[in-house]
Amino acid sequence: MSTATPRTVDPVTVEIIRNGLLAVTEEMKTNLMRTAYNLIIYEALDFTVGLFTTRGDTVSIGLGLPMFIRGMSETVKAKIKHYGLENIHPGDILVTNDAYITGSHLNHFTFTQPIFHDGELVAFACCMAHWLDVGGTLGTVTTDIYSEGIQIPIVKYRRAGVVNQELVDIIAINVRMPERAMGDLRAQITAVTTGERRFGELVRRYGKEAVLQSIDIMMDQSEAVARENTLNIPDGVYEAESFMDDDGIDVGARIPIKVRVEKRGEEMTIDLSDVASQVRGFYNSGWTTGIACAQVAFKCLTTPTEYPVNDGSFRNLKVVMPMGKVISAERPFPMRVWMTFPMTVIDTIFKALAPAIPNRSIAGHHADLVFPYIHGISPADGKLFIVGIGPLGGGWGAKSGEDGVSATVCINDGDTHNSPTEQLESKYPVMVERYALRQDSAGAGRQRGGLGAEMVVQALSPFTLTTRIDRMHCKPWGLAGGHDAMGNSIGIRTNGEWTEDLPNAKVFGVRVKRGDAYVMRSGGGGGFGPPIERDPALVASDVKQGYISAEKARGAYGVALNENGAVDVATTQALRAAMTVPAFNAEPVQ
Amino acid sequence: MPDDLSAVKTGHLRIAVDIGGTFTDLAAFDETTGRLLFGKALSTHDDLPRGIQNTLDGAGVLCSEANLFLHGSTITINTLLERTGARTALLITEGFRDIYEIGRVNRPDAYNLFFSKHTPLVERALRFEVEERLLADGTTYKQLNEERVRATARTLKTLDIESVAVLLLHSYRNSAHEMRVKQILQEELPSVFVTASHELSQEYREFERVSTVAANAYVGPRVSEYLGNLETHLENKGFKGSFYAVQSTGGLFPVAHARRECVRMLESGPAAGVIGAQAVARQLGLPDVIAFDMGGTTAKAGVIENGKPLTSSSALIGGYEKALPIQIPMIDIFEVGTGGGSIARVGKGKSLRVGPHSAGSMPGPACYGRGGAEPTVTDANLLLGRLDADHFLGGQMKLDPDATQAAMKAVAAELGLDAIETADGILRIAATAMSYAVKAVTTERGLDAGKFTMIVYGGAGPLHASAIAREIGIRKVLIPYAPGYFSAYGMLFGDLRYDYVRSCFRKLGEASFDELEAIYAEMEAEGRAQIATSRVNPNDIVVSHAADMRYVGQEHAVTVDLDGDFFKQHDRAAIKAEFDRVHDVRYGTHAPSEPADLVSLRVTVTGIMRKPPMAPLPKDGSEASVALRGEKPVYFRDAGRYVPTKVYLRDRLRPGHRIQGPALVEEHASTTVVAPGDIVDVDDFGNLLIAIGGASK
Repeated sequence: MSTATPRTVDPVTVEIIRNGLLAVTEEMKTNLMRTAYNLIIYEALDFTVGLFTTRGDTVSIGLGLPMFIRGMSETVKAKIKHYGLENIHPGDILVTNDAYITGSHLNHFTFTQPIFHDGELVAFACCMAHWLDVGGTLGTVTTDIYSEGIQIPIVKYRRAGVVNQELVDIIAINVRMPERAMGDLRAQITAVTTGERRFGELVRRYGKEAVLQSIDIMMDQSEAVARENTLNIPDGVYEAESFMDDDGIDVGARIPIKVRVEKRGEEMTIDLSDVASQVRGFYNSGWTTGIACAQVAFKCLTTPTEYPVNDGSFRNLKVVMPMGKVISAERPFPMRVWMTFPMTVIDTIFKALAPAIPNRSIAGHHADLVFPYIHGISPADGKLFIVGIGPLGGGWGAKSGEDGVSATVCINDGDTHNSPTEQLESKYPVMVERYALRQDSAGAGRQRGGLGAEMVVQALSPFTLTTRIDRMHCKPWGLAGGHDAMGNSIGIRTNGEWTEDLPNAKVFGVRVKRGDAYVMRSGGGGGFGPPIERDPALVASDVKQGYISAEKARGAYGVALNENGAVDVATTQALRAAMTVPAFNAEPVQ
Repeated sequence: MPDDLSAVKTGHLRIAVDIGGTFTDLAAFDETTGRLLFGKALSTHDDLPRGIQNTLDGAGVLCSEANLFLHGSTITINTLLERTGARTALLITEGFRDIYEIGRVNRPDAYNLFFSKHTPLVERALRFEVEERLLADGTTYKQLNEERVRATARTLKTLDIESVAVLLLHSYRNSAHEMRVKQILQEELPSVFVTASHELSQEYREFERVSTVAANAYVGPRVSEYLGNLETHLENKGFKGSFYAVQSTGGLFPVAHARRECVRMLESGPAAGVIGAQAVARQLGLPDVIAFDMGGTTAKAGVIENGKPLTSSSALIGGYEKALPIQIPMIDIFEVGTGGGSIARVGKGKSLRVGPHSAGSMPGPACYGRGGAEPTVTDANLLLGRLDADHFLGGQMKLDPDATQAAMKAVAAELGLDAIETADGILRIAATAMSYAVKAVTTERGLDAGKFTMIVYGGAGPLHASAIAREIGIRKVLIPYAPGYFSAYGMLFGDLRYDYVRSCFRKLGEASFDELEAIYAEMEAEGRAQIATSRVNPNDIVVSHAADMRYVGQEHAVTVDLDGDFFKQHDRAAIKAEFDRVHDVRYGTHAPSEPADLVSLRVTVTGIMRKPPMAPLPKDGSEASVALRGEKPVYFRDAGRYVPTKVYLRDRLRPGHRIQGPALVEEHASTTVVAPGDIVDVDDFGNLLIAIGGASK
């Protein structure tokens, strides 16, 4: 527990301030979303807002992106370190998009405003949001950070209330759609100034001591929950591994992901030393994201519904991770698709802990945004358009007592929305031919995984397609005897002919002619428990609804149906008797 | 009902009935005497018309003497939330069968591995594809295969389908295919309820539209049957007037229309409450008002700005994560899960949490003596002396203070507080939670809640009004006459109303005014025609225009009320200037030099109905002391102790009376807490005007 000063604030005030902090971050989020210029912020909610202590620790985060649980705090800390607290003044707003600080890509401009009360620094308000374009090369795999766009080190966007217009001009000339970038910049400033104003009101209303003590107490409360829910995990060392398809350059060269979790008493250590080293293609992320992998997994398993999200939740988690890994990359390794690999790291941690806490873990999910980008010249106005069509949503893993959820965003994303087809078709020269669930994509199991989805998009005018999708070969895994699901994949239709035999799900800068199309498929979720233990009535229902085929019912579940779709009991018994339950390792490694 | 204006109505009563979860409320206006009548009876969910008749009988109101029957009901929302609707099928554009299930793919509860998403009202096996395709500009890419639709209809017949929803892509732009599909279904399935998306929403966003039309299909047969039965019941009782239902906009529409577009009745009761607040505000000359309604399980807030309720173009029904969106215009009502029944619990790490769990009516708060062992907001009010064990619901229900003490002490001990501190804490936490809800509605629109008057109603509202107002910084609170019947009362002030929206993506700088005017004219003509078919001749028809606009490149649009003359005069600059102004108010920023897009055009056609004239009550020169029931100790935090507090009876208060806080004002279904320093004036219409902290008017 952190503070030495005696706490005088009562539990009622703490609760009122907790609600107040949540309201501040919600209002920051509302103001950002409603003023943002680009779809990625407004529809995909690719942003995070938050309040931070004067040390840079997270007080409250309004999601946004769950993966930014660490990056924002570390960015605030880096800004404090860069300037020194004594050189941060009222009216300042600090900015950076340094990928090795934020842990993500250059699109994530992060603005931080100090909050002063009676001349004393009391907190920081911070807003990260994804800008649609920050310059750099389009439609190819980048191999260093310099080809990914403009880099802004930690600088002051505003100094004592005066905007640094030269900085703004430098940014504007380096991005493809400056009017959008500037619109998003203004939205982010609205968000941080909202945070500064509202947090200031809380401090004036309840007093600085009450607010700061309440924050300490809230963090202690989160810590207490985290410790309680760690203590009840059986002690032991748990390991798991998986892999990524490739880095987009060395096609087919698998990238191993190995994790080791050690649980002793109230403490957990997640060791990521055996995750692969940084790669040539743009799938690297920075160390703050590596830490975030461990923290997101830990939070999901220990304090999933504890709000506001704060750093108290992680005090009993230690993360071991050397620099230079694919999730702790160093300059100048490329970072543009930072978000893909960490998701599999998180899923692998769940996999490692599944034998210890089968009732709290989850089978593998599709673990990719499945978010292709297209660019071209719009026939309507002759101007360049760039649009990401997604996220598609995919299958989630089954749990010991529940089927997986279908067609839902991957764990990198949170309250992230897809774009309506009617809107896409109104704005861009595309026609969506189909957006549907994929039958049989889910892993079979006593609890079935969720279904993946597929979308077929036809070009009404030529465009260039880029997909950066992984996890085609490493399929979302089942747990405790549950089957693996189908992975992610793509296909391209040229003159009516589908090309499906691509070596991976990554295509860079492929030209799609008018009338041609691409199909994007997301994987399902892994199953949980042996499929032959699934209630045959549920299998029959899945066939009736078309979630699985009759063949799958028979082959994977050992369930035969009669011509009315009802369970053929005798045949089912015979089929199941001939199938064996595979053994699986339910013991810790040591 | 025939659209027959010759059926001369001789009735002199206007009756409004609002069915809520627990009670059915009645408000009636007698045109000959100018009197208002009120009634309340328990709702009878097995046979709703019986509850209505009980209310009528209790208030001594005869249907045969009425020329108008106005009605709102929770039946639509309950049918949705309880999943008790019809066996429904969906017909949808080929390739899109699953979009209703896929939804928006979001996962709001981001760290919870046990999250879930919405469950469609129509199972996958009952979703069928229609061979057809329109493009975004409304042109046909693929012709409608009518034979296949007929074949599907025949399949539906074998599946005992009671209701069918139709959603075809881009029908907001061109509804021809949807209309034809509906026609074929009606030919093939004459006894089945059929509804097409464009009839309810002509806005883009296919998931929201399919969810809307599926909800209408799902509730349609049950709600339509109910309204039909009620109509027959009223006719049997000699009712010869016009029967209107209340929409979620607070506007009225004829029952024949309500029976087809049932989903519009979704929030009829809460919307009518806001209309009531609007009527009170108008009478008192207050332009900006927050309407605040607090009951047993939730608190709701609506906002009236410049005399008009703020509206929203959609709502999410059933909790954010699992919500089914309904994309129709409605009064923007923000709901928070804090009510009298909200339970206080000690959370992990010794935190005090109030709600969202509610004790409901069974077991109810500890003081109900029905076995509830956890303290609620109502228990806190009892323990602190704000509620009276012997005078709750006019003394009909005795409360158990000992049970409250025991429940409160259990929580207090865990927190290391005493029972009084805990009870006071519960009320403060509840008040701050509700104040954030109110602030969320206003700040989202760029409005300053502190500048508004708050009109507070619902059973629990007046208990907390003063505390919430202080949290928000509101200086003036009004407790209307009969706050416990307020939704029914509000219906008496409703107007006939038709709302239309057409998505129409155009750059403002390039849009053809001929095209825009034609779209507006078409919507206006449709609204006028609808009003012409109603049986009441409205006094006047008012048409208002609006457009959803955004800066080029932005995704989210803002609704801007626009003077119709801007379009007649082809005044692009005026339209743009108004958009810039609204954007600035709402978001604190605008970009006058940047171009704007039009997204959707909106028209509201309102047939103004005659309103009950509100006559001032006579003053009799007496003092408030005539209404004094006695004095009792009530705890107020600022005093830090129980303070001797006068208790007044609301029905004995007269215009001109003034009460100095601390005080309680008791009436049948509610108690108003007047905090120390507050001053209450009873106005000419019997409303309680509370000056918070004695602030001057």
